[in-house]
Amino acid sequence: MPPVPPDDPEMAARFTLRVQGGEQIEAGEWLPAEYRFEALRLINMHANSEIMGALPEREWIPRAPSLARKMALTAKVQDEVGHGMLLYRVAETLGRSRDEMIADLVAGKARFHNVFHYPAETWADVAIIQVFVDGAAMQTQGALRSCSYAPYSRVLKRICYEEDFHIQLGLDVWRSLAEGTPRQRAMLQDALRRWWTPIIHFFGMPDRVSPHTEKMLAWRIKVKSNEELRQQFLRRFVPVILEYGLEVPDPGLRWLDDEQRYVYTEPDWEELKRVGRGGGPKSAERLALRQRFHEQHAWVREAVARWLHDHAQDAVA
Amino acid sequence: MTPGGGAHDGSPRGTGDVTRPQTPAGAGSTGTPARHDAGGLWEHPLGAAKDVWAVFVQGRRRDTHVYAGDVHAPDAEMALVLAKENYTRRDPCVSLWVVRADQIHATAQDAAEMFVPATDKSYRFGGSYRQQRRVLQSSYQAAYREEDQ
Amino acid sequence: MPGVLTGIADPALRAAFREVLLRVADDELVIGHRHSEWTGFGPDIESDVAMSSIAQEELGHARVFYEQIADDEGLDVDRLAFGRTPAEYRHAALLEQENDGWEYTIVRLVLYEAFETARLHLLAASGQQPVAGLAQTLTREERYHMLFAETWLTRLARGAADGPGRVQRALEAAWPDALGLFEATPADALLVAQGVTASTPSAQRAAWEETVRPTLEGCGLRLPPSTARDGGRRGVHTPSFDRLLDQMTEVWRSDPEARW
Repeated sequence: MPPVPPDDPEMAARFTLRVQGGEQIEAGEWLPAEYRFEALRLINMHANSEIMGALPEREWIPRAPSLARKMALTAKVQDEVGHGMLLYRVAETLGRSRDEMIADLVAGKARFHNVFHYPAETWADVAIIQVFVDGAAMQTQGALRSCSYAPYSRVLKRICYEEDFHIQLGLDVWRSLAEGTPRQRAMLQDALRRWWTPIIHFFGMPDRVSPHTEKMLAWRIKVKSNEELRQQFLRRFVPVILEYGLEVPDPGLRWLDDEQRYVYTEPDWEELKRVGRGGGPKSAERLALRQRFHEQHAWVREAVARWLHDHAQDAVA
Repeated sequence: MTPGGGAHDGSPRGTGDVTRPQTPAGAGSTGTPARHDAGGLWEHPLGAAKDVWAVFVQGRRRDTHVYAGDVHAPDAEMALVLAKENYTRRDPCVSLWVVRADQIHATAQDAAEMFVPATDKSYRFGGSYRQQRRVLQSSYQAAYREEDQ
Repeated sequence: MPGVLTGIADPALRAAFREVLLRVADDELVIGHRHSEWTGFGPDIESDVAMSSIAQEELGHARVFYEQIADDEGLDVDRLAFGRTPAEYRHAALLEQENDGWEYTIVRLVLYEAFETARLHLLAASGQQPVAGLAQTLTREERYHMLFAETWLTRLARGAADGPGRVQRALEAAWPDALGLFEATPADALLVAQGVTASTPSAQRAAWEETVRPTLEGCGLRLPPSTARDGGRRGVHTPSFDRLLDQMTEVWRSDPEARW
């Protein structure tokens, strides 16, 4: 965290009490520096993830195998881009401009969720992403609807509303493939196998018990633990796999009835760390793609700015 | 659309700008509290970059325009064009308004208590005493719907 | 409701109207495909979202027109959209060109939307139901497409540092293909003779030029003097379309009988 003058301890204490009492904080209110930093980091990363998340799926828009799927997938990816728009605006209320955040993203300095560093190799990957990746995101997003920062909470309600449609659409593609030809089923099973570890990774390592984690929970920047969310996800989505007679890619996954939780093979957390730092299979390529278009559009941004300047009658406040 | 992004919420980013007047929107990490003295700050500009436009959607002809969110756009015409697809894809709409977000002024959050009556205002509502209590209670309940929390 | 073609008794007229429906559907499918390629890559997030809607609407229009043919012939809509050889498609070359920069896309949008709006009005006046009614309804969405296009065109052409240079070059690249929208085939003559289409392709072209002229010249652009690059209406397309069709039908072709 950049060095800042310390928060007024009285104000900080009052703030924490308010949040612990269940209050939500609005844009423009006084915030402890660390709260602002952590909330901004979380929301900025979420916005980046929506924008970068469009990339794996949009590869299949030109190849969607029916008019209906073509329109539905375009609409779904459009929603994700729209979510990025909403989230950057929330992040702006915490003190960064959208220009800065996008510049960081394009420069490779910004983080986005691990899952979007992986390839979408087949049409079946679209089904897996729309059911399981969006399903995973739904667990986190759903929990954070009760976070303490009101602008984020409001936007998440809208995002969850739209993600629900995505999962419905995803289940429809999933069903077509799972109940389809042997080749379609095989394609689906293979996609599931390739995506399984990144999805388990998505929720992060089980939280360390630490003052930092405690503070994030007390401030309701974190609402549920990583493991709680992962378990929630498994409870909802493992049955979907089994219902269609497909195989859970982890042979070590088991439901413990007495403990009411799943045990699973511990994934390689080093891979998650590597990917998070931009070392995923598609990280460099997708970054380059973003850079290419950002540069291609530089003249467009300049043209709009110049037009605006020349038409100052609209610009005068 | 962000031609020259520029100033955002007036919140200094962690380095305390002592020359900037302290509004609640700017009071963040400097630790300067909002003033509560008589005639003190109870309102402030909402705070946003010049290219942020607040969007209001009118669902049907007799409805009021309701705030839906913001878009970044260079000017009003582009803001309206963009608002249509960014905010009305799934919701009915017959009309849109856009206004620069930096033109919006707001009462401070800690002035919220001013809006809660301290004494019985049932004389504003007609009907029996029991009816009045029910109306008063339900209108305050409507302002705090469970599902919004 | 029964498709329009069932209601046309004369086989020659029915074939001619079918050709026009296919033209509309193919135009909308191909341009919808090109627009959809911008998803995630627009110049700003809000315009990315708006362009994506335009893409979806064009694809939706394509489906409406394919259904008119498919219903009559007992075909699957997707087989009609995806299952033909390149020479069997009837769209104009303008629509299949790659998205060569945002300026090309916007210029193409201006030129095509003016054409498509006029075409829908002609269909609305054709008396052939249910297509006439459907066409009238679709003009609502085209109005927004035109608005988006014009709003962007002004800012690009009037704001660019090199004056309208880049936009002018895009216009010069698009113009011959745009004129190809009006390529006439025998079907057109028959439809005009039978009073189904109110004006000939060359009259339509003249009207279209007068529609786009103020928009283009108002932005400091000059109408290019070039001649039409025809072929699309007779199934003659460019290598761009071969690549587009290959990609668009890649998954569908892997098993055309499967349910996707």
